[in-house]
Amino acid sequence: MFGITRDDDAQRRGFSRRALVLGAVQLAAFGATAAKLYHVQVVEGWRYAPLADENRTSVQLLAPERGRIFDRYGALLAANREGFRATIVPSLAGDIQLVLERLARVIAITEDERERLIVRARRQQPNIPLLVTHELTFEQVARLGLLAPQLPGVVVEPAATRDYVAGEALSHVVGHVGNVERVAIDDDPLLRLPGLKVGRTGIERGLDERLRGRAGMIKHEIDARGRIVRTLSRTEAQRGDDIALTIDSGLQQAVTRRLARERLAASVAIDIESGDVVHMVSVPTHDAGDLVRRVSPRAWAQFQARTQTQGGDPLVNRAIRGLYPPGSTFKMVTALAALEAGVMDLKTRITCEGSTELAGQVFRCWNRTGHKACDFHRALRESCDCYFYEMARLTGIEAIAAMARRLGFGQTFETGLALQKAGVVPDPAWKRGRFNRGWLGGETLLAGIGQGYVLATPLQMAVMTARLASGRAVVPQFVRPGRGQVRAPFADLGVRPELIRAVRRAMSAVVNEDGGTGGTARLDAGLPLVAGKTGTSQVTRLSAERSGVPLRFEQRDHALFVAFVPAEQPRYAVSVVVEHGGGGGATAGPVMRDIIAEVLARDPAAQPSYPDRAVGLSDATGAGRG
Amino acid sequence: MARPQSTATQRTIGEKLLGVQWPLLGLLCLLATVGITAQVAAGGGSFSPWADKHALRFVLTLALVLAIACTPLQWWIDIAYPVYAIALLLLMLVPYFGIEALGARRWLGIGGVTFQPAELMKVALVLMLARYYQALRPDRVSSPLYVLVPLVLIALPVALTLKQPDLGTAVLFGLVGVTLMYLAGVTVFYFIGGALAAVWAAPLVWSRLHDYQRRRVEIFLDPDKDPLGAGYHIAQSKIALGSGGLSGRGFMQGTQSQLDFIPEKHTDFIFATLAEQWGFAGAMTLVALYVLVLALMITMALRCRSQFARLAIGGAGLIVFLYAFINIAMVTGIVPVVGVPLPLISYGGTSMTTIMVAVGIAMCAHVNRTTPVHRGG
Repeated sequence: MFGITRDDDAQRRGFSRRALVLGAVQLAAFGATAAKLYHVQVVEGWRYAPLADENRTSVQLLAPERGRIFDRYGALLAANREGFRATIVPSLAGDIQLVLERLARVIAITEDERERLIVRARRQQPNIPLLVTHELTFEQVARLGLLAPQLPGVVVEPAATRDYVAGEALSHVVGHVGNVERVAIDDDPLLRLPGLKVGRTGIERGLDERLRGRAGMIKHEIDARGRIVRTLSRTEAQRGDDIALTIDSGLQQAVTRRLARERLAASVAIDIESGDVVHMVSVPTHDAGDLVRRVSPRAWAQFQARTQTQGGDPLVNRAIRGLYPPGSTFKMVTALAALEAGVMDLKTRITCEGSTELAGQVFRCWNRTGHKACDFHRALRESCDCYFYEMARLTGIEAIAAMARRLGFGQTFETGLALQKAGVVPDPAWKRGRFNRGWLGGETLLAGIGQGYVLATPLQMAVMTARLASGRAVVPQFVRPGRGQVRAPFADLGVRPELIRAVRRAMSAVVNEDGGTGGTARLDAGLPLVAGKTGTSQVTRLSAERSGVPLRFEQRDHALFVAFVPAEQPRYAVSVVVEHGGGGGATAGPVMRDIIAEVLARDPAAQPSYPDRAVGLSDATGAGRG
Repeated sequence: MARPQSTATQRTIGEKLLGVQWPLLGLLCLLATVGITAQVAAGGGSFSPWADKHALRFVLTLALVLAIACTPLQWWIDIAYPVYAIALLLLMLVPYFGIEALGARRWLGIGGVTFQPAELMKVALVLMLARYYQALRPDRVSSPLYVLVPLVLIALPVALTLKQPDLGTAVLFGLVGVTLMYLAGVTVFYFIGGALAAVWAAPLVWSRLHDYQRRRVEIFLDPDKDPLGAGYHIAQSKIALGSGGLSGRGFMQGTQSQLDFIPEKHTDFIFATLAEQWGFAGAMTLVALYVLVLALMITMALRCRSQFARLAIGGAGLIVFLYAFINIAMVTGIVPVVGVPLPLISYGGTSMTTIMVAVGIAMCAHVNRTTPVHRGG
């Protein structure tokens, strides 16, 4: 089909016609922009025109002061320390290298840092100041003032640095501030201020917008060279809100000291009535103050090396970001799901022979010789796995998953603390989405004892315990309500009261009856009764017993314990996880006991009835049992 | 009128270069010069950090235009479908291997070099559609099945970029594709029907937009609502335009832009700094330059014998038009803020490469305007 055919000719004519139409449309579009430009530039130009011949206005943003953070009794946790900082404006500096060399005689700035500043100055717009240092001594401020004529572009200005007064114990909860990582085109313009800090973790991040405050504004009249002629108006910045946490910092310190005796551990305590989290501890921890000051590359390398040898990142808050199989602490979930569904009742007996079988696969009880005939009370007290395998099998995974979610698993609680993990409440839909495989019957059994795919954070375990202890959908709170604010009471869980009562009675038996796995958490005589549940969650399929050789640290079981106290009239719900700690009763029980003693000793409502305040951690000993 | 085929296919490189549309290249050089001047002003009167690199990029891409102009047109027809397929594949890979920046995944990294598959797709889409209509018998252009095929091929990259999320580029793909279908001769009833369907579907799209995209549209409708927040860009750029007045404040005298009130003053908002320095007169001169470029490209397209060559030039012209119009319309507040650069003037290598490659292909079509092209499938 070479050459010009009739078709081709018609096509070409059609194209020409349409191309001209398109050209006309494009011309019209440009015409519209021209009309708009004429309107903005010529017709309305006078509105934007400068006040006087060569003068105009400029807007300068004023950084607000960041709100402070207090504990529940008003102790200061995070404050602002007034200081001075030095910045350099590349366009005013001229020869920035020379200026920085002169500056180095007054302030300690290394060759590396100077190099980095020069590179950054080249990359960005020349009128934006660069931060040289933010901790100037008064002597340095004075000397810089003297040398000012030789240091063009260097600006010394007051600036606040964040001060974490409470130290290591509070770092995970309070979090820390850091530089703004990226600014989207329509973010708060305040974020573009050099040296502005925003919350990166913890409360500092979760409540960043409240803490940050609102920018103030100065309108200057400036001349054509950008020099300020006079100030036209000034709106002060509004400082950010002060925030009072629910944490009791004294308790937090004490629990941190106790947990520090374990290698990697976390604990959360919730006031059941109000949902207030009174302590949230994760070890190892770090000093948030270190993260605010400039960290030298060498110090950072040392820090990382130490983290590697010790195992466990001290920057990670295990209480909300550590995911653990809840193990036997999950059995209350399975039990309530089964009892509510009516597949078993409290009197149903199951005979445990040490293992059970499903589709040719053997599921073992922790007690190899078996628990013999168990009803619910005994099964929970002695943590019989076979009983709960049977319960899970009869109930089915969907009902178990639904109950787990009602009790607080598989979700985050957006009440101010950032970076929580949701964990996993597995069900067939989840497995289909995650692995694209069908659900297996055996996986229901594993989920029923809190193993397999189930993963939860220590915060979620404490929430579950609080919900069991109160029968209400307790939501953990991290911030005290403001004056005059009243929180709505938590909604009812909707589980029949007699079932909840039976679970609570069994949990009390775990600690207080013979044969219970949690006797190690029992308090001294005269103190309230504790109710709880042990958990020993497997990390690998190996167990020391079967392989006969001691396991490496990272293969050892996690030791878990959840508890509420007092058993009859619950006030606090507490969770403890000791990573790779071994048995729940043996390792986590004594820790729980010490922590509960500390929580009770500091409970404001209970204090008058405990004249003997020597129930601290010092005289607590951890005798293993169960 | 038509030259014998033999000379058309056997021309030397020298002859091909003589056949290049030099006035168009002259106009591009003029635009780039405006760009370099603007970059000097944005850099506070210094060639670094922007003007020098901008100039270097233009010279390199100009060489690329000439190199592409000397390639045989058949070569572009042959690779049109494969290039589209590759671009589509890369776009699909972005969500999985892409590098995230500014809240969106748009870049792919290959051995330290990052690029946006969306840029490749702009050229690939033009090539693919030109190739498609080259092969299609004219009497089938408007039959429903043959309208549906290109629509799907346009919708695929649109959907993929919407997911990134990159509203601006998705709109660009859609406009380029649909307009090329119009140029190819698809009957106007489809476009009228499509417009009605769009009006009907608008509320649905609105409900699926991201919050930040909705906010941009809302702020665009009423920038005074949030003078220090999202409306900041538009408000500041309007002040710059207004302060430019009829004749401008003169080179580097635009204090609004010199004092960093204008965000992105060397990239997306460079038109505001130009209009402040050179006023309405300068801005209109720049608009006139673009209009001249487009007029030249349309005349180039009219003189081509093959449908492929016509649509390739038409597509390249469209890309230039859409960039220029959307950018200027954004800065003056006619359309919402979307990140579209001003062709050959905004700082940035990616957009410059895309535009110059498109212009190069158009130039190649122009050089081979009298070469007959096989219609076959």
